Amino acid sequence: MPSETLRRRATPAELRVADRVRLFAAQSLGNVAALGSRLANRGSGASIRGQVLTRIAPDAFRLLLRGRRIASVSGTNGKTTTTHLLAAAVRTGLGADAGRLVTNTDGANLHYGLASALSQAPTADIAVLETDERVVSDMIAHGRPEVLVLLNFSRDQLDRHHEIKALGRSWRAALQRAGQSGPTVIANANDPLVVWAAGTAQTVVWVNTATLWTADAALCPACGSMLTTIDDRWDCPGCELTQPEATWRVDGDAIVLPSGERVTPELRVPGSFNVSNAACALAAAVELGVDVDDALRGMRTVTSPAGRFATTTMHGTTVRLLLAKNPAGWAEALPLAVSDPVILAIDSVAADGKDVSWLWDVDYEQLQGREVIATGPRAQDLAVRLTYAEVDHRVIPDLAAAVAAGGGGTPAPGSPTAAIDTLATYTPFQKLLKMAGLR
Amino acid sequence: MTTNPVEIVLVYQSLLGIYGDRGNATVLVKRLQWRGIEAKLTVVEPGDPVPATGAVYLLGGGEDAAQVSAVRLLTADGNLFKALDDGAVLFAVCAGYQICGNTFTIGERDEVIEGLGVLDVDTRRGSERAVGELLTTWTRPDGTEQLLTGFENHGGFTTLGPGATALARVEIGIGNGVDGTEGAVQGRVIGTYPHGPVLARNAALADHVLSTALDRELQPLERPEIDELHRQRVAFVRKQGLRR
Ligand SMILES: [Zn+2]
Repeated sequence: MPSETLRRRATPAELRVADRVRLFAAQSLGNVAALGSRLANRGSGASIRGQVLTRIAPDAFRLLLRGRRIASVSGTNGKTTTTHLLAAAVRTGLGADAGRLVTNTDGANLHYGLASALSQAPTADIAVLETDERVVSDMIAHGRPEVLVLLNFSRDQLDRHHEIKALGRSWRAALQRAGQSGPTVIANANDPLVVWAAGTAQTVVWVNTATLWTADAALCPACGSMLTTIDDRWDCPGCELTQPEATWRVDGDAIVLPSGERVTPELRVPGSFNVSNAACALAAAVELGVDVDDALRGMRTVTSPAGRFATTTMHGTTVRLLLAKNPAGWAEALPLAVSDPVILAIDSVAADGKDVSWLWDVDYEQLQGREVIATGPRAQDLAVRLTYAEVDHRVIPDLAAAVAAGGGGTPAPGSPTAAIDTLATYTPFQKLLKMAGLR
Repeated sequence: MTTNPVEIVLVYQSLLGIYGDRGNATVLVKRLQWRGIEAKLTVVEPGDPVPATGAVYLLGGGEDAAQVSAVRLLTADGNLFKALDDGAVLFAVCAGYQICGNTFTIGERDEVIEGLGVLDVDTRRGSERAVGELLTTWTRPDGTEQLLTGFENHGGFTTLGPGATALARVEIGIGNGVDGTEGAVQGRVIGTYPHGPVLARNAALADHVLSTALDRELQPLERPEIDELHRQRVAFVRKQGLRR
């Protein structure tokens, strides 16, 4: 039986007739375009549907958000998985009323991707929405989310790095403007940029995620002083910004609840970083009124969110697909790769980041003793990085050929998946999903 | 002066290291070791004393606030200047290049900050942000020419004074942004904009830095993969440049 909080219904989009007609027409055309895209084998069609939708109804994003109970999930790394975990928790909490939930499972997280997902479920009154960092302030302003999860905020694409501070400022401004009607922010207390960005929110639930990545957090985002770390907690000597006391905490494989009770999430997605994601998802689910046990049961049903961690066979090779978008993502994903050979796929179009200098911030030296198959358009950059790391490698630029070549190898003894681990940046990851028939 | 092993000093990685520039240190150390020359890497973080014994000092890219901190710390420490007087090489990239100059600016209000003053250059906010692949022609001290490639990402444009000479001429990209030049050289200080890291993408420049520091020619290294990357990047940037 869902709690009273979770049972509280909202009424999506009480729209004027004219808006309804316009949205319906836009949606129908968008659906046709999406179908065309699917038939032409150009992906799920979510983006094209959203593009058509927002061209005909530029205010679709705003109209479709209106009146729903929204939980928005953002951050540089882990937002797709966290969104899946939170959606699964809410779905389980809702039980027979699971139809009340809408979510953007395919990771289309810009304005039109969100509009597309919402247009598919006009009556669903609870929306769990993965939200790109650039859309967060619009989401706060137009969606008035109940809950906003801020996971982490590090450099994603090096060529866009200088935008990070401006983005953080836009979040602060949006939270400030929202005031009393702003969201309860579930925020990672270990990330100085997140703590600074959440600083203007009315209500914050801090989660100590026990995360390690600190390379982007040398300077205080508020005053520019050098941050110090005392007893595993960061602090700014130049102003009042300091690691807040958290009510939720990750401790090894366990999540410590505000009551002090320890629960083990026993997730089916690997890696300690996913325990951190689960802690944030759990805190958000509880905020929405989901019972802890229901939330945990739900999160355990998540296996390969939007293809991440999926094991699949193609070109005669069984591979496990791992996405690594940036240095922080590689630091998390690389230790999970245990096979020999390991396939690493690198590209540098806009979605991957055009500057591949980040290759030199990733500890590829840990692969010494195993063979790497370097693939993708920037395989040669990786090859040079591996040469200097003294890691054996072959360069096979074509993705399909690289996967086929991996089939000759054997998974490492004790490998949990008996598959060849294949780590990819964003664009080759999408290509791998398509090759595997997973999207 | 070079001690044995040859010490490569990576200065303030956590302040000036957001664009993979630590790779320049990895490249220099390996290229010495591959030639059988003993080398060691020293990573200096803010708060640590800078060793005065280094053969090569490296500064990388970073944000405005990091530049101000780095100048303050390096000036207070003083050992970098001592090492330069003793003949060490300073190789500085992007934000690191800017702080080597007389002055540079930070923030939306273009506040002028005094640099380390080891390069006779001044940096001011440019008319556009330079983000993209960069291709330049470097004229070596012996007069021969060599193409350099990298990825630039900076908002400042740099004007050279009479004490400094340009490192290279821009073929495609922005570089210093004011006169078709890229980077600056003054004695044993080299400043340049591209990341890549630049020494990973340009082995010839890496060996130039090393032979300057060691005061001798180095044996050539056969590493076809590194030459292939250089060839691919030059071809890519030229093709992209034609479409501009
Ligand atoms: Zn501060």
